[in-house]
Amino acid sequence: MKKQLAFYIDAKRCIGCFTCAMACKNQYHQESGVIWRDVYELKEEIYPHRERAFYSLACNHCENPTCLNVCPVVAYYKREADGVVVHEQDKCIGCGNCIRSCPYGAPRYNPVLKRAEKCSFCWQRLDDDRKPACVLSCPTEALQIVDLAEFDEANAVQYPAGFPRYPSLNPSVRFRLPAMPKMIRRKL
Amino acid sequence: MSQMEMPLVIFTVLSQTAVGLVAISAIRQHAADGPAGSVRPEWMTAVLLLIAGLVASLFHLGHPLGAPMAIKHLGNAWLSREALGIGVFTALVIVGFLSARGRVNAGLSFAAAAVGLIALFFTGMTYSPPGFPALNNVMPFVFFLLTAAMVGAGFASYFTPAEKMPMITRILAVSLIVGLVVYLVVPFLWLSGGTVMRQTGLNYIFSPLYWARIVVGLVVPLIAIWRMRTVPAWVPVLVLAGELIGRIAFFSLAVHASANMGGIY
Ligand code: SF4
Ligand code: SF4
Repeated sequence: MKKQLAFYIDAKRCIGCFTCAMACKNQYHQESGVIWRDVYELKEEIYPHRERAFYSLACNHCENPTCLNVCPVVAYYKREADGVVVHEQDKCIGCGNCIRSCPYGAPRYNPVLKRAEKCSFCWQRLDDDRKPACVLSCPTEALQIVDLAEFDEANAVQYPAGFPRYPSLNPSVRFRLPAMPKMIRRKL
Repeated sequence: MSQMEMPLVIFTVLSQTAVGLVAISAIRQHAADGPAGSVRPEWMTAVLLLIAGLVASLFHLGHPLGAPMAIKHLGNAWLSREALGIGVFTALVIVGFLSARGRVNAGLSFAAAAVGLIALFFTGMTYSPPGFPALNNVMPFVFFLLTAAMVGAGFASYFTPAEKMPMITRILAVSLIVGLVVYLVVPFLWLSGGTVMRQTGLNYIFSPLYWARIVVGLVVPLIAIWRMRTVPAWVPVLVLAGELIGRIAFFSLAVHASANMGGIY
């Protein structure tokens, strides 16, 4: 398998502090309401505990990116070297097709520039041997960057409950499931 | 519905109406005996519908001047194929209108109809993306085909000679019955899908838009045709209004897959 960078989301460690999302905002200063990375709380139907659990999600830099496939002006490309899916905003005509098409809601509409935009995996930082801003900022190391060509974590899951399953896109993302809290009941 | 999508409502409904109008005109002129009808004004109407639709579609782009670039990705993007298909269809309809002498040449009529239907298929593929589970299937194509048949036949009635009105009335009645069945069944089928598809079904069933579209665009026209045994002049207007309402529902009621992140899919 070719090199394919992916986000590894360790829900066992994530404390839902939003630092990753804020680091992204701090790095790129997106327009108000334009979000590249967001932190989603697992609903009670999946995680019915007093403790809560979270997934920090952004673009998944899919193996077969629907954003790239549907864009009429070829404003997306996938990097050969590491599989990062890049959106070239100057080419975008703001048709909204990628926004409608990506089931992960990663591309967003920038109402000021009237063009789409999304997580870039901080490819400029990667090229400079630095981690993406979100990964760098996570205080618990719950958000990491892995290469799927070498990744060998037996307990990792690609489609945990609470995350849409689209095998035809093959999203480059892996999860560690949140821990089930230990119930300690006093014997009466 | 975001303001971005009203242009798409207008573009899709008007261009599909033009496809239906041209296809029915081709059949009426060349596949049925008797007078052709007012072919030139009919094809001029199709041209005007297409131009109005294309102008509307520009308003949906953040950068309308980039529209010509939209055919750059023919290898993968259905939207590029749609843009090319509608472009070629419009060109053929303009040639048909300009060259019409009582009738449009049979080969040109059927070629235009075929290209229009292919373009309509491309539009169906464009609007069935993975992002909307309820629509990520053949249904958008079916909806669009019904629009072409219903509004196209309705508008064709304006240009049809009395001798051929029974044929047009039959085409419209059958299209409306099929449309009624499809629109009544589909939202209830969506209820058996996953969370997002089910929510789309519920949105439809509890939306006044959905029921307005059934009554205005399907039930009232069907009753009128059944009672009058022909197509009264006001019926096509009602069918068009129903389609526009239905298309607003299409673009505003479908739930996006990402809306349920963190919940069971
Ligand atoms: S998650 Fe969406 S935007 Fe990101 S690569 Fe996949 S299809 Fe494209
Ligand atoms: S919004 Fe821009 S990037 Fe997205 S499909 Fe349209 S032109 Fe391509």
